[in-house]
Amino acid sequence: MSDERTRFANVVLPHLGDAYALARWIARNESDAEDIVQEACLRAFRGISGFGDVNARAWVLSIVRNTAYTWLKKHRDPRVIPVDNVEEVADAAGDQDLGPAAPDAGLIARADSARLEAAIAALPDEFRETLVLRELQGLDYRAIAEVTGVPVGTVMSRLARARRRLIARLGKEDA
Amino acid sequence: MTQQPDHPLLLVHAYCDGELDPANALAFERRMAEDPLLAAERDRIMAFKSAMAKLRPAGVAPPALRARVERTVGLNRTTRRPTWSALAASILLSAVIASAATWRLLVPGGLVPDEVVDSHIRSLMAAQPFDVASSDRHTVKPWFNGHTIQSPRVVDLASDGFPLIGGRVDVIAKTPVPSLVYRYQKHLITVTQVQGPAPPSGVRTTEGYHVIGWMDGGVAYWAVSDVGEGELKKFVQLFRAAPTDQ
Repeated sequence: MSDERTRFANVVLPHLGDAYALARWIARNESDAEDIVQEACLRAFRGISGFGDVNARAWVLSIVRNTAYTWLKKHRDPRVIPVDNVEEVADAAGDQDLGPAAPDAGLIARADSARLEAAIAALPDEFRETLVLRELQGLDYRAIAEVTGVPVGTVMSRLARARRRLIARLGKEDA
Repeated sequence: MTQQPDHPLLLVHAYCDGELDPANALAFERRMAEDPLLAAERDRIMAFKSAMAKLRPAGVAPPALRARVERTVGLNRTTRRPTWSALAASILLSAVIASAATWRLLVPGGLVPDEVVDSHIRSLMAAQPFDVASSDRHTVKPWFNGHTIQSPRVVDLASDGFPLIGGRVDVIAKTPVPSLVYRYQKHLITVTQVQGPAPPSGVRTTEGYHVIGWMDGGVAYWAVSDVGEGELKKFVQLFRAAPTDQ
């Protein structure tokens, strides 16, 4: 086995499951997710010499994330591609992220998984990817900032907004 | 919403995510104790996080995708990650022709389980088995910031009879990784979290210590202890089912 292949097997393959999960959350479709992971792995393989031995998972996930958006732009309606400043758009639309939504904590904890999944799928891309990287992939704020290419403050704001929206939604639907 | 990172409504999220250092976490706990609105927000976020935990990915890619990726980069699938049945066959063969030290290298998870057991034994001989002593996961978790690359998953199992007593840094495969130390009666249980290959299922026993490994969210977990096999299994079950950071 060549050095690159050994390195790929050690650095990328252990995170294939996470790569696939992230791609599925971004693409919201399993077969697209497989194509995205396949393409991302090829990119990772070509760029394996540039990996600096720091955080393999964050490195792999950032390649998957970037590949996913390019892939979607190429294969789907360009209008679904995220705007760069979702925060401003949300503000302009009178976003109620900080509204007085105060559902009961017990109600939230018991939320039905399928309903929660659907609510996450309906989030704007930036909110969804930030939430998924934190809650489902377990990355810390700094790693999320690296993967998504934004400052930590933006990560915090997006995460807070995403959670507020979902909490409000869960409370409303259950009420 | 303001993007000021010190906005209390952002801080409460950072607190719930274990992103505050111990001093700030403590100060924020006092603040929440005086502010019922913040405390209620914390409860909602924690409840939300436990609902989210149920959606965690299995950390496994579809086998067809794995095969496709391996083909693309020219990796021969059969040379990696032996299955237990293949492994059993290879042990039968190699037991005759090789020393035990050789086949250990073929075990899925590599030498990690042995290193985990070694670290556990070393910790039992040290003055104290942890670097940070605390039963509060909000103290233990942030402590690892700056000590290890990954921030560990810390759960509270005190009500199940497995109180957290501290954390320490172990070095596995030349990398500093977080280990948590739990107590069960007079025994200690170490949970080490490693970025690495998926551990094989089942319990293995080395020198009187049981080891159970599992994969969660892309992280390999190894629990090691001299408690009975049944108790360790129960601990692992509780650890995996517990809501994160709650």
